[in-house]
Amino acid sequence: MKSYKICIIGGGIIGSSIAYHLAKFGEKNVAVFEKSYISSGSTGRCGGGIRQQWSARMNVRLAMRSVKLFERFKEDTGFDIEYKQGGYLLMAYSEDEAARFEKNVKMQKEEGLEVEILSPKMVKERYPYINTERLVLATFGPTDGHANPHLANFGYIFAAKKLGVDVYTHTEVEDIDVVNKKIMGINTTAGYFKCDVVINAAGGWSGEIGKMAGVDIPTTSYRHQIFVTEALESFFPFMAISFDGNFYMRQTKHGQFIMGMGDPDEKPGINRDVSFRFEREMAEKMVKIFPFLENTRIIRHWAGCYNMSPDAQPIIGCSKDVEGFCYAVGFSGHGFMLAPAVGEALAQKLIFGRPKEVEIDFLDIDRLKGKSFEVEGNVV
Amino acid sequence: MERRIKNHPILDFEEKGYVTIYFEGIPIKAKENETIASALIANGFDIFGFTEKGRPRGFFCAIGKCSSCLVVVDGVPNVRACMTKVRDGMKVERQVGRGKPTWTEPE
Amino acid sequence: MDRARVKAQLLVVGGGPAGLTGAIAAAENGVDVLVVDEGLEPGGQLVKQTHKFFGHQGFYASKRGFEIAKILKDKVKNLGIKVMSQTTLVGFYDDCAVAYDRENNRTIEIDYDYVLLATGASERFLIFKNNMLPGVYGAGAVQTLMNQYGVLPGEDFLIVGAGNIGLIVAYQIMQAGGNVRAIVEISDKVGGYEVHANKVKRMGIPILLRHTIVEAIGKGRVKGAVIARVDENYRIIEETKREIVVDTICLAVGLQPSVELANQLKVELVYIPELGGYIPRRDENMRTSASNVFVAGDLAAIEEATSAMAEGYIAGYAIAQDITGKDLSKEMERYREELNDLRRGPFGEKIRKGLRKMGIDVPSGGYREENQKDFGPVGKLRAVIECYQNIPCNPCEAVCPTNAIDTGGNINGIPHINYEKCVGCAMCVMKCPGLAIFMVQEFDEYSVVGIPYEFEPLPEKGQKVILMDRGGKEVGEGVVHRVMVNKKDKTHVVFVAMERGLERTVRHFRLPTREEEKIVCRCEEVTREDVEKAIDMGFTDFEELRRYLRIGMGPCGGRTCRLLAAGILARKLGKSIEEISPMTLRPPSIPLPFSAILRGDEK
Repeated sequence: MKSYKICIIGGGIIGSSIAYHLAKFGEKNVAVFEKSYISSGSTGRCGGGIRQQWSARMNVRLAMRSVKLFERFKEDTGFDIEYKQGGYLLMAYSEDEAARFEKNVKMQKEEGLEVEILSPKMVKERYPYINTERLVLATFGPTDGHANPHLANFGYIFAAKKLGVDVYTHTEVEDIDVVNKKIMGINTTAGYFKCDVVINAAGGWSGEIGKMAGVDIPTTSYRHQIFVTEALESFFPFMAISFDGNFYMRQTKHGQFIMGMGDPDEKPGINRDVSFRFEREMAEKMVKIFPFLENTRIIRHWAGCYNMSPDAQPIIGCSKDVEGFCYAVGFSGHGFMLAPAVGEALAQKLIFGRPKEVEIDFLDIDRLKGKSFEVEGNVV
Repeated sequence: MERRIKNHPILDFEEKGYVTIYFEGIPIKAKENETIASALIANGFDIFGFTEKGRPRGFFCAIGKCSSCLVVVDGVPNVRACMTKVRDGMKVERQVGRGKPTWTEPE
Repeated sequence: MDRARVKAQLLVVGGGPAGLTGAIAAAENGVDVLVVDEGLEPGGQLVKQTHKFFGHQGFYASKRGFEIAKILKDKVKNLGIKVMSQTTLVGFYDDCAVAYDRENNRTIEIDYDYVLLATGASERFLIFKNNMLPGVYGAGAVQTLMNQYGVLPGEDFLIVGAGNIGLIVAYQIMQAGGNVRAIVEISDKVGGYEVHANKVKRMGIPILLRHTIVEAIGKGRVKGAVIARVDENYRIIEETKREIVVDTICLAVGLQPSVELANQLKVELVYIPELGGYIPRRDENMRTSASNVFVAGDLAAIEEATSAMAEGYIAGYAIAQDITGKDLSKEMERYREELNDLRRGPFGEKIRKGLRKMGIDVPSGGYREENQKDFGPVGKLRAVIECYQNIPCNPCEAVCPTNAIDTGGNINGIPHINYEKCVGCAMCVMKCPGLAIFMVQEFDEYSVVGIPYEFEPLPEKGQKVILMDRGGKEVGEGVVHRVMVNKKDKTHVVFVAMERGLERTVRHFRLPTREEEKIVCRCEEVTREDVEKAIDMGFTDFEELRRYLRIGMGPCGGRTCRLLAAGILARKLGKSIEEISPMTLRPPSIPLPFSAILRGDEK
């Protein structure tokens, strides 16, 4: 019977980052189980933004640490992930939102983040290709940026494999073997694997995996659509995003514009079909703000999911009820950008007893048991 | 036309320290430590001037020996482009035949 | 007006290899030295030399010219020698020497006791129709542009002259990413070293002997050239005229010593064609007919930078001996020995003849001339040395960790290798300035040849390459087996696997060009090799492959590439196409403009 110290469920960016960091810090007796192919879940469908401008302080810290790790991603893994620190332009379309931004910027600066507040006039001067009509205020974080999520996912997986981690693709976990509130192993389509620790990094399916171990994971998945245009010359270095305007957009290294928005009417569940209504609403909104899009063409439209937690912040930690059951889930649409820091922190917690770079205790599941918690507001 | 070498197996050429000079009124990017001649060639300008007989003149030796590369710099003619460093804002023109006299009026 | 007036015991004119070594030798012995140099920085022509120099380890061998320039400049700096750059010594007047500081546009008057003239040489021009057309350059000018300023003045080059400079420039143009369409040489043999000629021949550059340039074609700029064969009397044979398409013509037809200042100093000039034409007469310590004027380097005789440096040292010591009274004869003797070794071989013949006319005798011969016939034991990984001329050079011998290589007692000797001692480390391949050493090993199914490689980009293991023989003829395809990266001095060794038997033939390779690449995905220009390499890396799913390579992510939506890529994947994995997981085809099926979406909205 095959056995591992640690089995990770999910071969997306979170699972692969945890696997890579475990191996990097010396724990190589690790396997990753992916029910489909690498990057088949939310990672391979996400927008690829890397943002540090959050409203919750702990998210800022996690994201800042992630940026440090993205900066040396190529050095660490040998993979060029098209990482570009082109900045993030946050656009506020209401006085309320503008006030919130100002408050956030104060907190972000306390954390040592470089952010500036821009008036609509300044935005227009800097980026003449943006229509700033109705814009109330914007903030710009020059060290924010974006990268290619597929390549980052593959980068971590290949680097982890090189360090000795086993990766099982097309291998679905069917059950988790728990005896006397302790993890014994997992049952998969490729047979039974004995292990001491199971890490739930199943993204959209994290709730189901939780149930297999008898641990309630309070996450819900919602469809999130994105489309991409044909390529234009590179002139748009940053990610533009608005929470009250409900959109985000960036230009990839290959020149294509990738963009999306949230839909408050979305029903819970995994749904990968796409709607034309989305294209209509996006077209209407985006061409107004970014007039150069009018003659651009959409070439591909797809859907992934946000695995939402009640406060839109990730749930990371190890269960106090089932020994050996850990989780890094509920990233609420921001798993890609937080993955390096989260993988590092969780790996350090498991190997050294506590994270060394950034605290994650506050992200444990217990915070959601009370009635009041701070909800992250900077989410599309 | 940009003729700068991007990748070289032996040498490293720094991609920084640019200034702007004007050739026949056209702004061109020059590296701050190069000569006028290399900036012109790098930007695709091969004709540095014309002889008295109207023959186009390029540059030949690059080390100040042949005097084939005379240009007008900030109004001053007969400047050897291969031996003169660029300066931000410098105005360079093709020299046609002999240069026009220039002088500074006494104060 | 503020008159700058400077005094120096020794005034060195020219900051090239001869001037700097002269300045160093004198300053090391306490002489107060001033160097006046025209260039933007000292180093002379060394700063644009990217090839490795011949010679021996104790005297700059196997270092690249610009690296030597740096060593000399550092020495000059450490000795506190005063250097005026961008300053031209315009004249030796009867009251003082005058330098023209171009940067500050002022003159400087200089008083001196001794002068070392190291003014070098200028390039010879050549007469042919339309020879003043922009785009006709001296070889040195192309080197300056490429290697000092990083500017490649054209794409397709014709080189006139197959001496060492023509050959070296051709190779450097290829390194900088240009093409050399031909080298024409009017005589019936290559004037430069065979190893330099071999470097360009194996890249497929034709060296056309008994050929010359007849005309530069173009208005305003070179667009082509007419070349033709010549008869025994160097007359153009009309019916052999033909046009070649080039945009740059590079003249490498020799140098002439810059004697202007020597003439002003009234030293005796003599006309000796073997040494470059008019040159100052001088004795073996480089002293001219004026007792306080010395010469060194190309001004003294058109030769190489290595001999220029030896001459510079001799002159510097001789001057220091005069000024300080110290006995420096041992030091001078050392560098005279260096010079003797540099001039002892067949390539020194012309110089020996010329120097004899001035009454200076240089010994010749006394080195091994026979070639090694043996190709070594089949199956063993070993070095093969293809250096068959007596060149004063022995870094291979010096670097070999097992003493397997020897040049037979004199550095002009032909190197031989003891195959029993050779351990196959390839150090000699990386060190050889002539890139004339290769690694060879035969296996049952295939052979591997290790080739010195100084081009960008460096191929990767597993990459397909096109094999070339010594004459640049393409003789098949090979696969990169191993790459020994030489970070320090950049002569890498690329081991290429090839069909058994080709190991005696293949001496170069090239990467397939864009046109030769087999495209799978037209939108993103993904090649078959890209797909195969990704599969070899471990991608086993079509969707992974798609996400990694961007196959099918372009505007065609995967119509052209989908089945092709799936086919390669299926074949590589030994599966059927149906077994490859089905792909997801997303809307819109053709690119859909935002404007059309918006217009549909209007009722």
